[in-house]
Amino acid sequence: MDRKELEAKIIELVAMAYNKDASELTMETSFKTDLKGASVQMVGLVSEIENELDAMVALADASACATIGDLVDKVEEEL
Amino acid sequence: MSILDQIYAKAKANPQKVAFPEATNEKMMQAAYETGRDGYIIPVMVGNAEEIKALAVERGYDPSVFTIVDIHDEEYKAKIIDAYVALPDTRLKAKALGRRMENPLYYAMAMQAVGEAEVTFAGIDNTTGDVLLAGQMMIGLNEGISTISSIGLCDIPGFNGSEGSLLAVGDSAVCTNPNPEQLASIAISACNTVHELLGWEPRCAMVCYSTLGSGQGELIDKVKEALRIANEQRPDLDIDGEFQLDAAIVPAVAAKKVKRESKVAGKANVVIWPDLNVGNVAVKLIQQFGHADAYGSMLQGFKKVVCDCSRGAPVSEIKGNVVISAVRAAGSKNQ
Repeated sequence: MDRKELEAKIIELVAMAYNKDASELTMETSFKTDLKGASVQMVGLVSEIENELDAMVALADASACATIGDLVDKVEEEL
Repeated sequence: MSILDQIYAKAKANPQKVAFPEATNEKMMQAAYETGRDGYIIPVMVGNAEEIKALAVERGYDPSVFTIVDIHDEEYKAKIIDAYVALPDTRLKAKALGRRMENPLYYAMAMQAVGEAEVTFAGIDNTTGDVLLAGQMMIGLNEGISTISSIGLCDIPGFNGSEGSLLAVGDSAVCTNPNPEQLASIAISACNTVHELLGWEPRCAMVCYSTLGSGQGELIDKVKEALRIANEQRPDLDIDGEFQLDAAIVPAVAAKKVKRESKVAGKANVVIWPDLNVGNVAVKLIQQFGHADAYGSMLQGFKKVVCDCSRGAPVSEIKGNVVISAVRAAGSKNQ
């Protein structure tokens, strides 16, 4: 999976976990200010990343990501 | 009989299986052993079986008190995974779950989710954050609940409230600045918790610096909105407000300030703080000036009982919290 495909897949999973339209999301979308999610949504997202991409990102690392792009970097490290 | 003695008696009458994923930790093993040996719980030690057995013998414990689950037993692990992925609303698929279960904390919670244990008790090697996140991933939140929170049980000498010297208060430990939806969740969860643990019919007051409009401002608006959400979600529960603390727990003050029908005003047995600043300060006041014993804090909001103890907790405190969590688990089955 190349970077572009990974970005598209993560955006799809973020959209599902946070109940957003994927077209509203970019690599710069901020978890804190744009998505305003609770930790339970991040837990759902990390679970889906494990299921779909077979990459185990520590919840603490995922929670520390400011943007979707940061999360893609983290997942890329695990693949 | 003190409240803790009553809770111990309840536990003994119906011992529950408590999973200990930090099984080799010295304090945890001692607490598990002593509560198991004395018949309050059935301790399920999750980890490397040989290591657990060897340590138990070395520490002078009879290993037969423990049910030991070896996380390297592939047959049992496969059975848990099959049962877990068949549950509705679980997040992880088999492969990802198998990998998570290499960590005893996740293993114990997977067992709990499928009914092989009633409680997961951790927090001495894992941080509170670890326990909360694992619980959200593996056990999940109760329906309609938007946050994990906590309550504590205060036994206040000289206080003569609707449950004698006892008062449940929350959240004084977990949810820092709840929004109205989260504050409603804290109140609803607290009602469930006191019913599970103590068999009380909860009368829950949402407190702030205003009684029914006596004050105004955004801090009060939040509490009012939380109350509206809580009443809408659970009309069966007696949750009322907004009240000042005295209007919530003192009948004479309630009679003066609350000029409408209320099942809660003046006789609340559960008090919900508007945020953690209030909660933390209030508990310290109750302890310092009221000379109260505070039990807990108990985590709430999960579908099943998950307990996180303080990392510096002495064995006596761990034992109390183990027994409290077992009684909650038994109580939740009866609801």
